[in-house]
Amino acid sequence: MIKELANFKVNGRLYEVIIEPHMLLIDVLRDKLGLTGVKYACGTGDCGACTVLVDGKPILSCLTLAVTAKNKNILTIEGLAQGNTLHPIQQAFIDHGAVQCGFCTPGMILTAKALLDENPTPTREDVKAALDGNLCRCTGYVKIVDAVLAAAERIRKGGKG
Amino acid sequence: MYRVLRPFEFFEPTSLDEAIRLLNIYGDRAKVMAGGVDLVLKMRLRQLMPQYVVSLQKLPGLDYIDAGKGAGLRFGALVTLRSIELSPMVQKEWILLYEAIHQISSVQVKTMGTAVGNLCVATPASDIAPALLALAARVKITGADSDRVIPVEHLFVAAGKTILEPHEIITEIVVPSLPTGTGSAFMKLAKTAADIAKVNAAVTVTVADERCKEARMALGSVAPTPIRVTEAEEILQGNKLSGKTIARAAEAAAESVTPITDVRSTAIYRKEMVKVLVKDALEKAVARAKA
Repeated sequence: MIKELANFKVNGRLYEVIIEPHMLLIDVLRDKLGLTGVKYACGTGDCGACTVLVDGKPILSCLTLAVTAKNKNILTIEGLAQGNTLHPIQQAFIDHGAVQCGFCTPGMILTAKALLDENPTPTREDVKAALDGNLCRCTGYVKIVDAVLAAAERIRKGGKG
Repeated sequence: MYRVLRPFEFFEPTSLDEAIRLLNIYGDRAKVMAGGVDLVLKMRLRQLMPQYVVSLQKLPGLDYIDAGKGAGLRFGALVTLRSIELSPMVQKEWILLYEAIHQISSVQVKTMGTAVGNLCVATPASDIAPALLALAARVKITGADSDRVIPVEHLFVAAGKTILEPHEIITEIVVPSLPTGTGSAFMKLAKTAADIAKVNAAVTVTVADERCKEARMALGSVAPTPIRVTEAEEILQGNKLSGKTIARAAEAAAESVTPITDVRSTAIYRKEMVKVLVKDALEKAVARAKA
């Protein structure tokens, strides 16, 4: 099968990776680029743990051929903080105790980011609908939804989104 | 579930002619990929092991939604479910399609998946297909020899099977505008909101002078393919939309289905629930038609 040297723009940085067509985006991100914040869980598109943003939109990296993500802007959880300053959604997750084991957290936060970029003033129902493809098996969802709503408010008041 | 896909040769044609040519050469050894949600999952599950994958993602001019009041709705093969859901025209004029897509979990799947892809997968549990059936939608098929336009109800042959030849691609879905006085509704019953349907129902009803001028009803998950229930439609046709008539139509719909028992539900429960869903959907559609 044809190998190629492909360009990936991940978290604002350009990477060259040798890929084959049957490689999945999650494997390029985790195994080739060491971005292990991208989590592998169900592998069937049900849990949302592998969510990354491609050109600002949330997609499932475990069901995406890496070759189709070449030259697109990919954001993983590693690219969200600015230096030592956490993104308001990350900070809100900490402040609201919305992280327990943390495995679903990167996918949750990235999906929440896509929501807030699209709709800065979501209702509680909007947040729940946006996150319905991200499963958490520890805390339940109340604190996660609280955190996203708090982050929305913080961003509206000028916190960097 | 396998973590790694089996190798395949990958093509990203940049013209429709090239895509058709590739599919013509490789036949059923090739699989067409639009959003890839279903294909990649089935490759992981080893349900599909194509030698060749032909991606449509680089084809120009297939990512459009054209909609106008009275002018109908057309969208291309690469339009994602999410784009249709977020289209203000669809939300306003084709509320049935919006409802069918809006309740689908998740945002990620809808961001990746396309409506055309959903039809080509031909799952009996599709939420999109019943909506398009009730809306009298047609699909435009482009192939090696000729193009053709067929109603969605002629597309499905069996579970997982359409009439598409290996060298054919659905390039467009065309949805007519609904006549004045038409109401529509989509309803679904599932184990959880995120699961696929035990039963789903999509209806459109055109009301004039308190009577049903025209009705279209479609169901999912109760037969090998999504189906239209014309027996039930005929009961409404020309009649007053009383509770009694609606109940008779719902009974007729339940009579005409051939559901199976599986992990999600039993055949007998599905049949009973067809009555409930059709009745509820009709009442909602009639109320909307009169509003």
